[in-house]
Amino acid sequence: MTQSDIRALFPALAQQVYGKRLVYLDNAATAQKPAGVIDKYTELSRFYTANAHRAVHYLSGKATEAYEGARDAVAAYIGAGSREEVIFTSGTTASINLVAFSFGEAFIREGDEIIVTETEHHSNIVPWQMLCERKKAVLKVWKLDEDGFLSMDNLARKITDKTRFVAVTHISNVLGMVNPVKDVVDFCHSWNVPVLIDGAQGIVHERVDVQALDCDFYAFSGHKIYAATGTGVLYGKKKWLDAMPPYMGGGEMIGTVRFSGTTYAPLPGKFEAGTQNLTGVPTLVPALEFLKEALENKEVVEEQARIREYLLDWFATRKDIHLFGVPRRTSDKINLYSFTVEGAHHEDLALILDKMGVAVRSGQMCAEPLMDHFGVTGMLRASFAPYNTLEEAEYLTKCLDKAINMVR
Amino acid sequence: MATLQEKKNAVIEDFSMYDEWLDKYEYLIELGKNLAPYPEEKRTDDYLIKGCQSRVWLNWRMEDGRLWFAADSDAIITKGIISLLIGVYSGETPSDIAADDFGFIESIGLKENLSPTRANGLASMIARLKEAARENMEVLTADDAREIAPLYSNVVLALKQVYDPEIPVNIYDLGLIYDLQIGKDRVARIRMTFTAPNCPMADEVMMDVKNNVEDVPGIKGCEIELVFEPAWDKSMLSDAAKIELGMEDE
Repeated sequence: MTQSDIRALFPALAQQVYGKRLVYLDNAATAQKPAGVIDKYTELSRFYTANAHRAVHYLSGKATEAYEGARDAVAAYIGAGSREEVIFTSGTTASINLVAFSFGEAFIREGDEIIVTETEHHSNIVPWQMLCERKKAVLKVWKLDEDGFLSMDNLARKITDKTRFVAVTHISNVLGMVNPVKDVVDFCHSWNVPVLIDGAQGIVHERVDVQALDCDFYAFSGHKIYAATGTGVLYGKKKWLDAMPPYMGGGEMIGTVRFSGTTYAPLPGKFEAGTQNLTGVPTLVPALEFLKEALENKEVVEEQARIREYLLDWFATRKDIHLFGVPRRTSDKINLYSFTVEGAHHEDLALILDKMGVAVRSGQMCAEPLMDHFGVTGMLRASFAPYNTLEEAEYLTKCLDKAINMVR
Repeated sequence: MATLQEKKNAVIEDFSMYDEWLDKYEYLIELGKNLAPYPEEKRTDDYLIKGCQSRVWLNWRMEDGRLWFAADSDAIITKGIISLLIGVYSGETPSDIAADDFGFIESIGLKENLSPTRANGLASMIARLKEAARENMEVLTADDAREIAPLYSNVVLALKQVYDPEIPVNIYDLGLIYDLQIGKDRVARIRMTFTAPNCPMADEVMMDVKNNVEDVPGIKGCEIELVFEPAWDKSMLSDAAKIELGMEDE
């Protein structure tokens, strides 16, 4: 496939907004959906709407097949040890909350310590804060060093005999920097501390092998990898998932139910109470096929490298623009750029860019502690996907210049 | 001084000059840049409007029964929006601001063209203006009301003594008086119109109104606001005036 073939798979990209062509650069929030995903969703809605697992009839069989087929596909893609280690959720947030609740119930006691990093998205901070409140545990923060990196030295200073869990993002949704997650896992395991990796951005940009990483949990969302919104995955090592109590009670998660007591279903059903997102989850299959193609396609990889080179150069020449997350090596950064502009408010610029057809994100990006760290009220963020082109990156800088001139 | 309606019309007219929203933003940015400096000591959390993504400060003072606003924002388009709002509502009485429906904002399409967070911010700004108006509305005690109430009928009697020289019906029964308010300060505030915008006797009639009303015992002053919106028409005549002018009921 050529780059333009890939672009043509996304009907949303062909549309105009305010009479101008759409340049969609908010992919880190939600990516567009390729035809394969839309077709799968439509097919399931049209023909195979039925509950999975429960009934013996034809449609239920088809729905079960599609849903469980997606589990096999995800397990194969991320290299899980078994399909039972793949739990479907509504997204990264739900995945992390599940772990914070269930792992917390089983293993966290008063006075225990949990470590998160300063660069986390709110959804990898707040569930741990809630757990600490519930259990009277202590939340510790692994801070950035002066150069803006998460250094292993700083982690080594935080970890103690009381540390029971570490939660870290694979790639920050603000800085776009790839964190040394393999080193983190190895180091924490040397202290017998399990690690959760927030992979919401990570899985989008590199091939993840959870067994090679040896992480204990890996969480990600469907809507950032081109699948239906409201889908998500929690990978967890079987030994942990087996030892954790269910998160929610309801149908499908049970063995037998008596008022004298209920036994729980084995994995993965134990963590999938109630009717699941049967229309959405199977779209993970075509989405992962696309993701694999996008990560391996030579033309795409080269165009992404050109975009990165162009934008890193452009930011370097602009003394009036502050880019957050400047990498030591370009390969440490994904095509995601959060920045502030002197004398121009991020929200103004986003609003003007919008009318030029350019979709970018503005604000705190669900990472208030990180905004505080840098002493800003918000940033502007442009995040690229495999269907974006160098021409679009050039259009972004041109429009930005215009917008900056308007507001100054 | 321009009336509230005239100020709104000016904004609507300004906005209609631009087809593209990008140009309208440019207009808002200009408004923002030209906004009078905001008092530094009022740039505190107490003056922040809650519900805006960017920070917006609003301060006001009462002078001669009217509210005067000052505002600022760290985002320039937001600053333009608050500038537009306070440009229209500064110098109006609290009761007029509290009673206003802010419908002209809808008619320029501002709300629909903002991001949802900005649209919420706009709603918060409007709510804060109205809150300021309500806070500054006069609270009449029972004693005040007892003293002021009789003044109304006496002022009406005074108004009934004033005639447009060309029409044999007094201006009150003609329906030229749109609004009459007497405040705690005993100042009668009258909003009135004429049968046509180019009435040659307008100045003379308004002078008569002022003199007659100020002659009413207990009245300390009279302020007149001349408006042509809504435009006067025959339906505003009182029944007595219709008979006087030989008009049939329709």
